[in-house]
Amino acid sequence: MKHLLPARSGVCLLAAALLLFPLVFTGAFYRDIGVAFLLAAISASAWNIVGGYAGQVSVGHSMFFGLGAYAPLFCFTLWGWPLLAGIPVGIVLSVALALVVGLPTFRLSGHYFSMATIAVAELIRIFFGTWTLVGGAIGLQGPAVARGWWDLTFRGDLAYYYVFLGVLGLLLFVTFEVGRRRFGFYLRAIKESERAARSLGVPVRLTKLKALALSAIFTSTAGSLYAAKTGFIDPDSGFGILVSVQMVIVAALGGAGTLFGPLIGALILIPLQTAANTWFGGSGSGLTFIIYGGIIVLIARFEPGGLYDLWRRVAPIVWRRAHAA
Amino acid sequence: MLLEARNVAKAFGSFWAVAGADLTIEEGEIVGLIGPNGAGKSTFFNCLAGDTPPTSGRILFDGLDVTRATPEAHARAGIGRTFQVPMTFEDMSVLDNVTVGAFLRHPHRGDARDRARRIVELTGLRPDQPSRSLGTPGRKRLGIARVLATEPRLLLLDEALAGLTPTELHEAIALVRRIHESGVTIVIVEHIMEVIMTLTRRVLVFNQGKVIASGTPEQVVKDEAVIEAYLGRGARRPAE
Repeated sequence: MKHLLPARSGVCLLAAALLLFPLVFTGAFYRDIGVAFLLAAISASAWNIVGGYAGQVSVGHSMFFGLGAYAPLFCFTLWGWPLLAGIPVGIVLSVALALVVGLPTFRLSGHYFSMATIAVAELIRIFFGTWTLVGGAIGLQGPAVARGWWDLTFRGDLAYYYVFLGVLGLLLFVTFEVGRRRFGFYLRAIKESERAARSLGVPVRLTKLKALALSAIFTSTAGSLYAAKTGFIDPDSGFGILVSVQMVIVAALGGAGTLFGPLIGALILIPLQTAANTWFGGSGSGLTFIIYGGIIVLIARFEPGGLYDLWRRVAPIVWRRAHAA
Repeated sequence: MLLEARNVAKAFGSFWAVAGADLTIEEGEIVGLIGPNGAGKSTFFNCLAGDTPPTSGRILFDGLDVTRATPEAHARAGIGRTFQVPMTFEDMSVLDNVTVGAFLRHPHRGDARDRARRIVELTGLRPDQPSRSLGTPGRKRLGIARVLATEPRLLLLDEALAGLTPTELHEAIALVRRIHESGVTIVIVEHIMEVIMTLTRRVLVFNQGKVIASGTPEQVVKDEAVIEAYLGRGARRPAE
């Protein structure tokens, strides 16, 4: 197969840019954006496995993000565990939740599945808000001073940046491998027509469950990283619907169901969000919703395939013109 | 006996779309299923493919009870089907579409790819073509290629040849014949009599959810009950 743009060198270029970014832009502001970008990219890429590839649009992924965020801080608060040890706890809980939620909700299709996921995430958010063991509405805090690297509590942003970048790299590699294998083909087949997929012997529900579990693993990890970086978690920043919506928007803006779509989406949305927050200060927090709303309308109306799809259509034309000249 | 359907019935509310149909198919046969619109052919077909479990009756495949088995279990057991309206995976290339089918018996990517490529070749499609750019004949062909990749022992074709031009039709008939010669048993639902007459040796005629006649195509088209089903009472030829 012939590629119009050399894909391999594109990936190398992207990796180099991401590796060098915090070394070139050393200001706290840029590093802050860099870390926020990576976190959004990890969450959205994790969502992408089930929401993009399999086409099961969950709007309740904050349930995994929140569990991932609470688990390390909970284990630290109660037993003084290192935060690193809490990450697998969050993953195990999230996978268990994915199976419990997935079994009944995957009987639903389309909007009903999305609504069911919202409902579950909201239930958990409200439950955590009243549960005193996890701090109720106030939430939980991490260690003020790191006892060691395993507490994942660093002074500057640089260490977070590279830890997050490593996780993103691993996640993209896993997604890439999944896309090439039978599992990935089955996911895409399910997205397009469940009936046709089943007629070809695709075990639809089992495949969806696996996708949700895999997605939950990485979403939970993203939550843990967020909690380690922020040092505290409350029901809204863990389980709030905005957390779920952001994953959907970031992935859809860049291109749901493509490997680099969520990355592109995060690359555009996160600087935009940070800029809005900086320009408008505290009064700008509502603006995030307005930006999300506007983006949903624009994507749904003009580019349902996201920016990556647009680029795939436009790039060859630009390429040919440039070479014809 | 490869497939045996005994007294299969399917009700939607109080309406019996299939009202006690029997069918037996020997390995290596190619059987036609015809009947006027609304006769229950498609519902019966969906019962055989596992898409809609019958209200009553039993279906045995190679001695195995598959009456209530899921569509994916049917595919695994070796019953493949096409859809009247081809449900193409639009965002995939032709080869990727067929690869989905090939993965059923070849879990490894390389093997599935090889298998899919051979089948795409056999059906005369272009592997790299985006499937959304295919026309009706291409889609029907792709539907057949995709299910063929699951390596079925029994292939159920639901109007897989409808909507084709005469040239395309002859190509498609040749394709079905090649598939049959490779050892696949075939049940074919079709309105086009040319297809039935040239391909099948045995035909079942459906009307009002029941099998009203069966035999060779030549016998069946002369059958009075069949003529009445299609044309109504009084359409019989005057006695010679």
